[in-house]
Amino acid sequence: MDFAWSDQQRELLDAVGRFATQQLNYDVIKNDREGIFNHEAWKKCGDFGIQGLLVPTDYGGLGTDPLTTVAVLERLGYACKDNGLLFSINAHMWTAVIPLVYNGTEAQKKKYLPGLCNGTLIGGNAMSEPNSGSDAFALATTAIKKGSRYLLNGSKIFVTNGPIADLLVVFATADKTRGSDAISAFLVEKNSPGMNVARKLEKMGLRTSPMAEVFFENCEVPEENLLGKEGGGAFLFTRSMTWERGCILASAVGSMQRLLEMCIRYANERKQGGHSIGKFQLVASKIVDMKLRVESSRQMLYHYAWLSGHRKAVYLEAAMTKLHISDCWVKCCEDAIQIHGGYGYMTEYEVERELRDAIASKLYSGTSEIQRNIVASMLGL
Amino acid sequence: MKILVPFKSVPDPNDVTVAGAAASTPKWVINPFDEIAIEEALRIRERGEATEIVGVTIGAPAVDEQIRAALAMGVDRAIRIDDSRALDPYAVARILGAVVEKEAPHVVIMGKQAVDDDSNQVGQMLAGLLGWPQATFVSKIEFLDNRTRAQCTRETDGGLEVVAIKLPAIITTDLRLNEPRYVSLPGLMKARHKLIETLTCDQLGVTVRPRTTTLSISSPPKRAAGTRVESVEELVAKLRQEQVL
Repeated sequence: MDFAWSDQQRELLDAVGRFATQQLNYDVIKNDREGIFNHEAWKKCGDFGIQGLLVPTDYGGLGTDPLTTVAVLERLGYACKDNGLLFSINAHMWTAVIPLVYNGTEAQKKKYLPGLCNGTLIGGNAMSEPNSGSDAFALATTAIKKGSRYLLNGSKIFVTNGPIADLLVVFATADKTRGSDAISAFLVEKNSPGMNVARKLEKMGLRTSPMAEVFFENCEVPEENLLGKEGGGAFLFTRSMTWERGCILASAVGSMQRLLEMCIRYANERKQGGHSIGKFQLVASKIVDMKLRVESSRQMLYHYAWLSGHRKAVYLEAAMTKLHISDCWVKCCEDAIQIHGGYGYMTEYEVERELRDAIASKLYSGTSEIQRNIVASMLGL
Repeated sequence: MKILVPFKSVPDPNDVTVAGAAASTPKWVINPFDEIAIEEALRIRERGEATEIVGVTIGAPAVDEQIRAALAMGVDRAIRIDDSRALDPYAVARILGAVVEKEAPHVVIMGKQAVDDDSNQVGQMLAGLLGWPQATFVSKIEFLDNRTRAQCTRETDGGLEVVAIKLPAIITTDLRLNEPRYVSLPGLMKARHKLIETLTCDQLGVTVRPRTTTLSISSPPKRAAGTRVESVEELVAKLRQEQVL
């Protein structure tokens, strides 16, 4: 096994660290308080090349392999404190870009991928519905073909990037009684007649990543915007979710590393009873736990990405990676607050926001309970 | 129009904590003033006034990392003069003079000084050796008369000075000329396919030997702590006592 980064990978990682530190960390507290998405930072990330990782160079991307991709995203999460921005980028990459790369027609790829890579277009998907979340394929939004168009009817909830998206991958069924076999995916552009992006949803964390409810009322989608095959939506969704589960918390590993370093610094500087608080074993022990979580998360992430890059089956590993890192992230944030004491609870110390941002990781891309179901089923249970 | 941009690798000024420890600092970067020169060359090319930007630096193979950073910013190709000696400004100017004769650029844009030794001599010496006009500490560049002249705004102690110089010429950059772009991932990927030519002083036909030697580098002496005075009278008395007044 070779755990060393190549010179070329190191160059990319150094560059992303410098870029994110200098360009992405302004107004984070204010934007979090007011729920503001940082459009300018999004565009900068596009220009810098983040959204184009993985995408073949023919379509405006960088064509990086999965391991390099997660390493870059990890470094991004270390250097950029705007977890909401990174969540929006992740949603965009795994639920809009990846399905297009795998299932898009040549015309669809040429039309959308360059813009999705360079930051001029924002993507997302619309899957969850008020009555179908974990049981995703029980969705009720319908897509009925009329001539050369599909008519979409129904409502979607928790649509990440909904209020800002230029392009949504929308899942709908031709016949609810036929279950997952009848589900197809559609590329729906913003301002399509019959699509209504309704109220923006207020959230506990990830407040800089906008989320909305979206309604479809006889929304017309031209047939060339069918993504993949008719009835292929469930397969497409599963593939996109596997990528998402494996990669979406790469930035969380970086965030954990940043919190670990903050805590070590604070524990060395903060004196109580004549000693640095890091000399108290109960504090040191928490920091050791944080270190173990960062390292184990990183190993799982890299292993998943290595397997993915070698075209091995990763359904199980993706679920385990997501389950483990989300759990570690939340616990690291709790410990970081505890180590910082009352200061950790104060907004200006930027620790409490990490916890609010981290908690959602146990819910999106399938709850931790769903990940456990997947792992259990893969173990033959 | 062809632009030559000489640049130097220096210890990362954001990463150096102890003066004198520079040699052991692991992180090296392009001298920030030279980065401004590269950015200006890129902007000149982007507005259609230049067709090629050639970067040149002097050093051991380790400086290839900074060369790739320059190529990733958008420099078209680069030359490394393979020489790891500690060269003084005159030696550097002589080597660059030979590169200028080989490349025949229309303009040389470079940092006014390097942030490691702050010598601020190479640009001026290079102009002298070549017999070319120079504009130093420049914060604005405009090309005139079908790019046969450059109008440069200089930042001087007395204010702004606007000069027009005939090309070819040497221009050295001030901090206020521009804000350099960051190296992007696509830029880094493209840089891998760009040419880095390695030359020796022998190949350039130039013999240089350093004329100065660095004896030692040390931190400046620590300043004594200040004292707080209670009144203007006390302040004046103290200043008198110190023979400042």
